[in-house]
Amino acid sequence: MRLTSLGVVRGLVGYFAGMLIGMAVVVISRLVLGMSAWDQEAVWVGGIIFSIIGFLLGVGAMSDWLKWTRGVQTPLRHGPPVNQPAWTRYFGVDYNHKVIGIQYGVTAFMLLVVGGSFALIFRSELADSGITFLQPGTYNTVLSMHGWVALAAILLGIAGIANYLVPLMIGAEDMAFPRLNAFAYWLNVPAIVTLLISMLFGWDSGWTAYPPLSLRGPVGYQMVFWAIFGIGLSSILGSLNLIVTMLLMRPKGMTLFRMPILCWAILATSIIQLTATQLIGQAFLMLSFERTLGMPLFNPIYNAAGENIGGQPILFQHLFWFYSHPAVYVFVLPGLGIISELLPVFSRKPLFGYRWVALSSLAIALVGFLVWGHHMFTSGYQPYLRVVFMISTLLVAVPTGVKFFSWLGTLWGGRLTFQTPMLFTLGAISVFLIGGLSGPILATAATDLFLHDTYFIVGHFHATIFGGFVFPFFAAIYYWYPKITGRMYNETMGKLHFWLMTPGFWLMSLAQMTAGTMGMRRRIADYDPALGVENVQLLVTIAGFVIAFSILIMIYNLFTSAEVGVLAGNNPWRSRSPEWQIPSPAPEHSYARPITVVGEPYDYGLAGSTYIATAGAGDD
Amino acid sequence: MAAVTTSAQAAALHPHDAHAGHDHYAAQLRMNRLGLWLFFISEGFLFGGLLTVRFFLWGADTRPELDQTIGLIVTSVLLISSVSMRLAETAMERGNRKAFSVFILLTALFGLIFLGGVMVFEWGLFPSLYPAHLTPWGDKYGAVVFAMTGMHALHVISGIIFILIVWNLARKGNFSQERHWGVESCAIYWHYVDVVWIFFYPALYLIGNAVHVTH
Amino acid sequence: MFKQSGYGIVILIGLILAALTILEFFMGINHIGAALLMLVASLKAILVIYFFMHVSRLWTAEGEH
Repeated sequence: MRLTSLGVVRGLVGYFAGMLIGMAVVVISRLVLGMSAWDQEAVWVGGIIFSIIGFLLGVGAMSDWLKWTRGVQTPLRHGPPVNQPAWTRYFGVDYNHKVIGIQYGVTAFMLLVVGGSFALIFRSELADSGITFLQPGTYNTVLSMHGWVALAAILLGIAGIANYLVPLMIGAEDMAFPRLNAFAYWLNVPAIVTLLISMLFGWDSGWTAYPPLSLRGPVGYQMVFWAIFGIGLSSILGSLNLIVTMLLMRPKGMTLFRMPILCWAILATSIIQLTATQLIGQAFLMLSFERTLGMPLFNPIYNAAGENIGGQPILFQHLFWFYSHPAVYVFVLPGLGIISELLPVFSRKPLFGYRWVALSSLAIALVGFLVWGHHMFTSGYQPYLRVVFMISTLLVAVPTGVKFFSWLGTLWGGRLTFQTPMLFTLGAISVFLIGGLSGPILATAATDLFLHDTYFIVGHFHATIFGGFVFPFFAAIYYWYPKITGRMYNETMGKLHFWLMTPGFWLMSLAQMTAGTMGMRRRIADYDPALGVENVQLLVTIAGFVIAFSILIMIYNLFTSAEVGVLAGNNPWRSRSPEWQIPSPAPEHSYARPITVVGEPYDYGLAGSTYIATAGAGDD
Repeated sequence: MAAVTTSAQAAALHPHDAHAGHDHYAAQLRMNRLGLWLFFISEGFLFGGLLTVRFFLWGADTRPELDQTIGLIVTSVLLISSVSMRLAETAMERGNRKAFSVFILLTALFGLIFLGGVMVFEWGLFPSLYPAHLTPWGDKYGAVVFAMTGMHALHVISGIIFILIVWNLARKGNFSQERHWGVESCAIYWHYVDVVWIFFYPALYLIGNAVHVTH
Repeated sequence: MFKQSGYGIVILIGLILAALTILEFFMGINHIGAALLMLVASLKAILVIYFFMHVSRLWTAEGEH
């Protein structure tokens, strides 16, 4: 087997070839236009754009479409590539949604590890006051990278869950547009490579990249802008695909209110991703163009009369948060959906208030469009806006509360069993509760003015993201692991992972919030020992390392169990969901025959209730 | 609870192979249409964002000094191109190949004229033909005009390329009176680009009073 | 509603759009407010979306066109 038969290798060759071509194009055009040959901003932008296209051409994500433009028909390819080992399909363009889901999931996990390692690096610096080994500039770069790498990990993780599960859960053969699905995944890879290259040049504003700092910093910013644009485009295309799949590919009898609840969460998420993501893409493109061409969109220019004839920095904050706040709901809604999906299985009881839970996801998504201004209480916008955004933000607590009460109602009187997925689900609820309760404190303008840009925010944000994404993501990995590999993970190691990570996270989160209330600012490499936060900071760092260690256990568990784990059988959790009624691991074509839905999805413990039936197997 | 039958042989069978044909095409067409419209909604947020930027930076009472005659002419040209595109699609629906080719090429031609008008007169790319009055780097007026028309022009260019591909495929006989999603998607994409301009035209040319910026 | 597949209706809608554009132009040079202009623009957009982009095909079941 030749190395170049792997799509990703060809893609990387295309990436660097494209980069050189793009740079050459810019240099030559500059010479033709009579400008100096070298301008690092322009040359890098050209290089990045061409390198991303080069990767996609190299990996073959656009091959079918290019053939279509010449009128060549291409049947959808199924199964692993011919004359090659089966594992190679994961390293090239494959159209099966399960393969793409695993590609997304594994990439996300790798990014989570990378992003987490960045956190450990700068947490070590913060364990003690004074500069020990990271200079402030490097510190800022590592910290900013932690932000975007971890967010990319979350976006990809969600896409992984959605791609793998949604077609399985609604009994569909595949996604609506398999080629678009593959394209959306492969777009992420060059974007991530670009994001990692940005570290070589540095960028130091934190993940928000506010101008004017991001207009003046090193050229690493250009790579960040285009990398995030790529990841954003991928998430737009992925969500488009998911919405079409869920709206048009459901089997007979599966009305919207009979979909598995996770599908509702993903539908709500996809609506946000489809629309709001455009705004951050636009904002970052505007930053890139302002840097490259000097278009004054964000930077003010004052003329002789003292009027501002240039841009306004606060405009960026509006555009940025119009995506980035709803993005938080993109991060947590699928996780909350996983909690709602798993609790009935492990409580052996119907999901409490199915319709309310389904609609609460939509409500969170829609209210989420109206709350972006709560990130800008201290930005200097019109003071009356503070009241508006405070009220709209506090409204979010209502649908979120619906979810919490549904979870309690589901647990109440259930016959609970505590396998690892259930433990992580309960852990997620506890952690999300910490994040949720610290939310109104920040949503209230009066208190936010004091807590803005402190570690309290850091604690709140990480609690919501761990409770809303990381814990449910791990629960999902343990829960669907048997369906993916056909084998059970090691239960003891799973429990050990949980009992290290959960207390570790409680400690970390509460300590971060404590440091914040004591006056510890975020995004600084050093702090005054007189603040009295040294002990708290040390605790946060230790807790961070405990969490990292527990995740190492998980990785070991997942790798070894794939070889030596007990065979799981079709349905180890006695779930009613369609994906558990097919063999494990799921076959290439998931459903041999179309399924029909004949009952409610979560009627666990009700005698004689049925969710799905197989078409043609006796009932029609 | 009934389990799903899962025999290995049945699993190996691709369900779509069994009933390929009309049903499959109709189902795929529905998905294609919804997908394209969702893409339009998504892009709507991009163009809406650009409009927001325009109103945020200029307010509703100022606008740059742009040549009104040129604005009206390019807007009309794009409108006429939309009409001819709809005529092309109608021709395809009626199976009139020759009319289709004429109308779709006319659409591309009008698109090129629009693009040329924007590049020569609004951007002033060829000062010998028309002196440049705005630059992207001068002030907020130039910057926003270039951002809005630039993003729109990118869509016009991709639309023209799309039209040429579809024209070529139609020439080779790839579409039929009943099955021509390629033509339909190209047509509604082109109309979408026109819809965007319907909002950009008043935003750039008509709303507010023209101001002369002193540097 | 109108039979959507005729050439005539396309021309008619085109003429209405042209008239509205000229109306917009005169509204613009006479400084009629932004809101009214955007209203006329929305009307034009609705005409294009309904008659040219035949949005209703999204929810009609037929798959022939």
